[in-house]
Amino acid sequence: MMPPLPPPTAFVWIKRAALAGLLLLLIGTAPVGAHGFIVRAIPENRAVLERAPARVQYWFSEGLERAFSSVTVRDQTGTVIASGGVDDQNNALMTARLPANLPDGAYVAELRVAFASDGHVITETRVFFVGAAVEGVTGSTTVRAEPLEVLWRAASLAAILLLLGIYAVYALALVPAWGSPQHPAGLLPPRVMRRLSAAALAALGAAFAAQALAIVQQGMALFNADVGTTLAQGYWNIARVGTRFGDLWTARLLLLILAAALHGLSLYAWRAQPVLVRPFWVANAWALALVVGTFSAGSHAAGSLLWPWVGIFVDWAHALTVGLWAGGLGALALSLPVALAPYAGEARRLALLAVLNRFSRLAAACLGVVIATGVYSALNWITTPADLTSTAFGGALGLKLLLAAGLVAVGAAHHITLRPERYRRWAAVARRVGNFLPTLRLEAVLAAAVVVAAGLLSATPVPVPETTDQPPLQAQTAVEDYQVALVISPGGLGVNTFDITLTRDGQPASNREVRLRAAQPARDWRGPWEAAEEAGDGLYIAASADIDRPGAWWALVDVIAPGEPPRRAAFAWDIRAEAAVLQSRPPTLLNVAALLAALAAVGWAFYPLAQRVYRRLDLRPAVVTVALGVIFMTALFSIIGVVVVQNAQAQYEATVNPPPQRINPMLPDAASLARGAALYARACPWDSLADHQVLIERLPRTRDEELFAAVSDGWRGLPACDGRLSDDERWDVVNYLRTKELARP
Amino acid sequence: MWNVPVLAHGALGIWDEVIFISIGVIFLVVMGAAWLKTRALPPELDEPTAPSAAHDAASSTPDRFRLD
Repeated sequence: MMPPLPPPTAFVWIKRAALAGLLLLLIGTAPVGAHGFIVRAIPENRAVLERAPARVQYWFSEGLERAFSSVTVRDQTGTVIASGGVDDQNNALMTARLPANLPDGAYVAELRVAFASDGHVITETRVFFVGAAVEGVTGSTTVRAEPLEVLWRAASLAAILLLLGIYAVYALALVPAWGSPQHPAGLLPPRVMRRLSAAALAALGAAFAAQALAIVQQGMALFNADVGTTLAQGYWNIARVGTRFGDLWTARLLLLILAAALHGLSLYAWRAQPVLVRPFWVANAWALALVVGTFSAGSHAAGSLLWPWVGIFVDWAHALTVGLWAGGLGALALSLPVALAPYAGEARRLALLAVLNRFSRLAAACLGVVIATGVYSALNWITTPADLTSTAFGGALGLKLLLAAGLVAVGAAHHITLRPERYRRWAAVARRVGNFLPTLRLEAVLAAAVVVAAGLLSATPVPVPETTDQPPLQAQTAVEDYQVALVISPGGLGVNTFDITLTRDGQPASNREVRLRAAQPARDWRGPWEAAEEAGDGLYIAASADIDRPGAWWALVDVIAPGEPPRRAAFAWDIRAEAAVLQSRPPTLLNVAALLAALAAVGWAFYPLAQRVYRRLDLRPAVVTVALGVIFMTALFSIIGVVVVQNAQAQYEATVNPPPQRINPMLPDAASLARGAALYARACPWDSLADHQVLIERLPRTRDEELFAAVSDGWRGLPACDGRLSDDERWDVVNYLRTKELARP
Repeated sequence: MWNVPVLAHGALGIWDEVIFISIGVIFLVVMGAAWLKTRALPPELDEPTAPSAAHDAASSTPDRFRLD
């Protein structure tokens, strides 16, 4: 028999000091920030520009709440010169159009950003200079401490994880260990059921209160208002119906109402139909698991650049297992004193061992999942050792790990004490643990501290990865008496904006029709002509996603003024893959290894269940052969299907747009078009022939190399052009012929 | 065309609503199944070897104790 030794006095003092230290650590941790961050800025912070940009653009790592995000640009006197918001096409892009001809000086862009995934609001200022840098003007990020947010997040997590722990430990440990048919209502003695039920009702009340606080705090953050204004003006309700945060909040509230209803039904059935109490409590564990999922959907993982959905599910698995472990400890700490009250001596020890043995197995399975999923989640954000030591996120993570290590140590002491025959050399630890109750209380307190630390971690900004300065592509050219300047931003793959500035004799050229086309000669591919929208002061704006792969590209700009022939400005660019805005990042070997470890830990946790299923399987050779055959054939046909589809897509691409045999080397600028027009008039007598019009009609679907062949060898009724033309001259003619596409009726 | 998203502010793409609601439905179905299964399950708890307060330590199993 294990002697129930009282803990030594020194041990008590160590415990008290540890708890006080934890409390100080929790209070001293700087909380709150936002999960998203700027991944690309044009202009870069503190950039010194030769001339004023047409707009400011800030790409974020995740989507923004359109109605609650804005950007204001001021000059160095504080005068607002422009304002803007979230781009219509891209909710991760904040943009503001600037007036033309901004004078030299400093400009400050004030961003107020609400992130969609979690509703966090930040204000940030970015600076750029036109002409020369101005001393004393700096940007900043305001990370306001929001004690209310930490409070509701910690209270929500603690209450909901305790609820999950109560229902799950009831189903998985208490009833199997202690259940008896002599207690029809819940199979446990009424004193235990009453204690658990009271704890569940208190946790439900705390969870509802925390939700009320959450939506009010969110309204305050979104509208930058105080509590009274938020309640009086109904800002909390706008946050509820108008944001993704509100969606998740509503889902969480509905699920909590469901859980409360199930618990209420169990109370109703207590006397009328006591056999239903247990089903209601077991079902509630599933409802609470779903409630926990609403936190994961609004966690750091939702804004991850690496597999956001995987991150959400891993975070969910982490939170669930923490709930089973830490919440379960809370449930045990609450129920053990009343459950064991009638017992003493050996009976008390046996009763305690019965439930601790079952909970120990559950906690051990959870621990593996907690560690593996925690490592995966941390590696989502911690990419360098410096992230651990020099960021608030690293500090909060370290605090959580420290507390979790204490929790594991106490759990290990319990594990050792439960199995004295296996751990004889650790008998001193077993003697310290004594009758379990004091150390169980310590473990529960540590678990609560871990949950609070998790709340802090979820409200702490993630480390922002290093990004290289990538200025936009910009060039300027003269076409007759026009100056045409083109800025492509961000200048990478994907959606780009094209800012075309026209001046004539030094004055902005307005009321022009401006068209723009992207082309990649190496593929003999041209995008559609995009009409640029006039923004005033000679600025014309277009956007397209035509640039979709790296390499040499052309941007062709046609300027058409009433009563004048079209003017062509052509620009050649080298588009680099690294210039794209970072919208996702590839996994590292560590990420993959951590994910595999998380999956292995989940598999290990479910191993006993799998074993039970395995024992029920019909494993006769014929059945196994058929099953394996079906699995193999399904996998085989799936792989074949994927390969066939990929081949078909590749063949379609190759058929529609095969690699050209000849690549047009002549940039179709104004000079090339002028040469081509003169050569065409001299060497290609096609205009009067019937097939000329047919060729013009077919230009949109005719490749440059086909036009080159028509010029060299003739096409249908059109004779070959003068055979003395050089290859470059033939390409000039091709470029000129291409302009007839725009002149089609 | 029916185009009323249930969750209007998906930040993870167009499959937000489908995935969220599917998971919700799956869990609610499992919850219902757990309720039905537990309701129909006879409490296999009073094994003959299960010790109670009246049992001595020698005849006990380490993870079963019928609480009175």
